[in-house]
Amino acid sequence: MTLALARKFPGTPLEDAVRRYPDVPRLIILKTDVQRRGVHYTEEAVSYLDPEKHQTTGTHIFGARDGVIALRPESLLLRDGTSIITTPTPLEENPYVVDLRDGRPWLFDAGVALEEVDYWPAPAFYGKDSSSGVPMKNIVSARPQRLNIFPYRYCTFWNNGKGCAFCDIVTQLKKGSKELKIPARLDPVEVGAVIGEALKEEGRFSTVFLTSGSIIGGSRPFDDEIDYYIAILKEVGKNFRTPKFPSQLIGTAFEKEQLKRLYAETGLTSYTSDIEVLNEELFNQHCPGKAEWIGYREWKKRLVDAVEIFGPGRVNTGLVAGIELAGPHGFRSEDEALERTLAEAEDLARQGVSTVLIVWSPRPDTALGAYKNASLDYYIRLARGLHALRVKYRLPIEHDSYRNCGNHPDTDLSRLLPLWEE
Amino acid sequence: MSEDLRNAIGSLLKEPATVASIATLDENGAPVSVPSPFLRLDADGRLVHLELLETSATHRNLLRSIWFERPVSVTVAGSDNRVLVTTGRTYKALVSGPLFSEYYREVRARLGDADLAAVWLIEPEQIRDETYAVRKEREEALHPFHLHLDRLAVRHADTP
Ligand code: SF4
Repeated sequence: MTLALARKFPGTPLEDAVRRYPDVPRLIILKTDVQRRGVHYTEEAVSYLDPEKHQTTGTHIFGARDGVIALRPESLLLRDGTSIITTPTPLEENPYVVDLRDGRPWLFDAGVALEEVDYWPAPAFYGKDSSSGVPMKNIVSARPQRLNIFPYRYCTFWNNGKGCAFCDIVTQLKKGSKELKIPARLDPVEVGAVIGEALKEEGRFSTVFLTSGSIIGGSRPFDDEIDYYIAILKEVGKNFRTPKFPSQLIGTAFEKEQLKRLYAETGLTSYTSDIEVLNEELFNQHCPGKAEWIGYREWKKRLVDAVEIFGPGRVNTGLVAGIELAGPHGFRSEDEALERTLAEAEDLARQGVSTVLIVWSPRPDTALGAYKNASLDYYIRLARGLHALRVKYRLPIEHDSYRNCGNHPDTDLSRLLPLWEE
Repeated sequence: MSEDLRNAIGSLLKEPATVASIATLDENGAPVSVPSPFLRLDADGRLVHLELLETSATHRNLLRSIWFERPVSVTVAGSDNRVLVTTGRTYKALVSGPLFSEYYREVRARLGDADLAAVWLIEPEQIRDETYAVRKEREEALHPFHLHLDRLAVRHADTP
């Protein structure tokens, strides 16, 4: 941070944090804080939105922080190509504000203009309908460089009310099917056809991403989920000349045999299974369905097993960072949360599994919705810590990077990881 | 900054024989200079550098430059020996959208099966005319103590 910049943004919380962490890029600190506090779009900022040119909200599997479905920018791009994946947040919760400055969208805090931003560009296929007449964007959605497939918008952990405490997938499913006419379960053939259409746009996409809620059914638990992913990935794979293609799946923690099938029968090249919180007691509390069907230790073991199949640096797990501090049973201090989370992340890193964070956005229709997420310092320190583990254990994270995901401040830092192979 | 020099860069870059290079600073502050074969000036007067590889030293240094406010330098040399050197700041990396796709298509049209990691926009802060003839004239006028005396000495018939 130069003195010139410091003078430009005097006294904002962003500026203060930049001074405290000179080794962390200002743009990544800003991204983290926007994810933490959310955004509010002024009327002018919304009027700048052009659905022909920009992506608008609506197709995501999880809901917005203000609980509203309305036409707004899907998310933001910063000058360094970093995405900010953030949700519209009520003004009384003190979000950052997106407003126009000289006719262009900028991020503001307390009236201070901080950074210009771009709305995510709309991909060419968004204007088209599938063969069954469904808008293609309701089958496959996009990030700046990624194709998203959310094939199943339900999670069977909710069958007995044991969904995760921060998750609003079911509420969003109801809203999605009623207000947006998004199919709850996608037809693999139709998904493959939409991906084919998307790939006609040159220079747009770097990866195919697939995730759904957990599906417990099958002769072994989760076989149905595996079968469904395989069916979809096979259809997607028909669009590629190569047997493997850059891709990421976030799924349940599968057994080794299931993972072997997933890898052998499809073009999938990386695997993510989100443990959500790195502490057994908190996992049991916040993720009761995962605890009931798999269990904390088994979840970790399956992640490590996956490294044998997908390779080191191609397997990771995600944290909903901040839930470890929420509620009466959360860690008592951010220092303790950091120490214990990073210690468990190191144990995974040692065995070839990377850990990435998303900044928890407390959503209204969830059990933890009334709690606040953690401080900006906490997220910066956690991002630095997870990045340092990747450096220490030589773990690339290209499949979950700023290009292929964009939702993890810690993997943004990994854009400058050493090139070990050189 | 001189508008004339900025326009001169634009003109030079339109000539096919012009050679451009970009210099960035690595983690340790060491300079890294590489050719920039697609360099151009955009309508806003920014230099446009196309970076083909995500893990190239230059791409990573440009990222470092936008993250930590480090300068970059671009040299443009014309076939008429004109040399213009720009120092500036990275303003933006385009990674998606219509402009990115346009450059992506151009790169592939020229190179075949190539990729494009980012379109870097560089805001010039200073442009220097480093053309030797111009510099030499200025040097001799302003810094006469730097000359070798034999260049000023009376020439004798037997001096080669
Ligand atoms: S596993 Fe948890 S977070 Fe994921 S969809 Fe099911 S309930 Fe939601």
